[in-house]
Amino acid sequence: MQHVYHIDKNFQKLKTRFAILKLIREFLWQDDFIEIEAPIVVKLPGQEPNIQPIPVVVKDDKKKKFAGFLHTSPEYTMKKMLATGFEKIFYLGKCFRDEESFGGTHNPEFTMLEWYRQNASYYDLMDDLENLSKFINKKLKFNNKNIAKKWKRQTMKQVWHEYVGVNLDDYLERESMLALCIRLGYKPQKTEEYEELFYRIFLNKVEPFIGKDVPTIIYEFPKCMASLSKQTKDGKYAERFELYYNGIELANVYTELNEAEEQKTRLVAERLVRRKNKSLVYDVDEEFIDALRAGIGNCAGGALGVDRLVMIFTMDKNIDNVLGLPMSKIFNT
Amino acid sequence: MAGSISEVKKGCVIKHQGDLFLVTESRFTNPGKGSPFVTAKMKSITKGKTIEMTYKPVDDIAIVEVQNQRLQYLYKSGAFYSFMNNDTYETYELEDEIVGDSAKYLKDGMEVYGVMYEDRVIAVSIAPKMQYKVVDAPPAVKGDTASSGRLLKEVTLENGLIVKAPIFIKTGETILINTDTGEYCERINE
Repeated sequence: MQHVYHIDKNFQKLKTRFAILKLIREFLWQDDFIEIEAPIVVKLPGQEPNIQPIPVVVKDDKKKKFAGFLHTSPEYTMKKMLATGFEKIFYLGKCFRDEESFGGTHNPEFTMLEWYRQNASYYDLMDDLENLSKFINKKLKFNNKNIAKKWKRQTMKQVWHEYVGVNLDDYLERESMLALCIRLGYKPQKTEEYEELFYRIFLNKVEPFIGKDVPTIIYEFPKCMASLSKQTKDGKYAERFELYYNGIELANVYTELNEAEEQKTRLVAERLVRRKNKSLVYDVDEEFIDALRAGIGNCAGGALGVDRLVMIFTMDKNIDNVLGLPMSKIFNT
Repeated sequence: MAGSISEVKKGCVIKHQGDLFLVTESRFTNPGKGSPFVTAKMKSITKGKTIEMTYKPVDDIAIVEVQNQRLQYLYKSGAFYSFMNNDTYETYELEDEIVGDSAKYLKDGMEVYGVMYEDRVIAVSIAPKMQYKVVDAPPAVKGDTASSGRLLKEVTLENGLIVKAPIFIKTGETILINTDTGEYCERINE
């Protein structure tokens, strides 16, 4: 009966969860978005070096085997749809990531809202996120004062200036960032990638302090840290933002890169990092590159961790409490 | 001993900048960008100061092996919890800070493990599952808790701890509790 007890213990929280799912759909439908479905089993998942897909094997009626993976995000599928003329689409459903903790802020199976807007930039998606959260806050009468306030929007450069005391413009190369890490007392390996070095400082000196009071959007990431997004006009940063609140990262949004060859170059590079890290290696999805060749227009897309959004409203620290049956209960860990 | 980030857990001891720190809380994060890391809240064993550290897989983590000593919980007096080493009859008066979260699961006569450092108890760990007698199990009232009220109700255990348990549990019965999550596991038939 452990499963039934888990559900019963979180009965009210689950009701809240399902009400939030309904409101997310209502909010987007009101704005003429189309809810799409994406296949969960794919042959070639994303190449992000630090996201691990869960392998699956599918057999046809002749028992011929096909190796695939559970999708880590519906991004490739959705961009293939954008290439055919879909303009405002969203996916609200499950995504899977391997080698994640069972509980805390992670569950290997989680619910993601991924949405794309044609003829838009990431500024429009900042508004979407703020308006959606305020809509839920009001409709379900949570009266969360911090969410109701005007959200903070700061550039990555501003927060590094504020919390680290340096001009990030001077630390956009691997060598200078490595030197900064050492100067600040970290002990990085000499061969560490820029992103690793960046996060050493960011996770210790910046992230714990942002989004404490009001939800905070941090935008403009160093360009090498956003392989699927467009660059800012000065060419130094990428049009990517993340939303933080209460120490949790809630969403990750880009103005999408729409140049096929540039995209392919970046994915091939990421694949090499996967090989170097001894992670699972698979081909770059050429069908996805073909979608960019066909043209996805000027669009912006974002991903919101829905379970984490629910945790904010139910004031939970553990994701398990807002999931019907989390991995920890399924495998009784 | 160089440890991996998965070994950085509550109760382990880490050598950092020449001092020894007890991990009081750890959180594993895989941000999906940048490698996974573990954030540990650690308390200095010598100075008592708490710091927060982030470890990545490539970091050299100096995990120190510590001795675990079986201790018996005697009673609480004032702000202190009394424990005794049943082999040497030595007693230890431990403050709230050392007993930590385990305090609410203690019951008279219970056996625990003391994490020892130079003859001092620096932390207390208890078995992952413990039995308790139910001293109060009122009939379930629908709508009085976060749960549906159809399957679970709040019961009071012999040490005063209140947990959610199935509605069929009666006063006087013994149940098994997960001391990590505080959740009901099963009824013990005697």
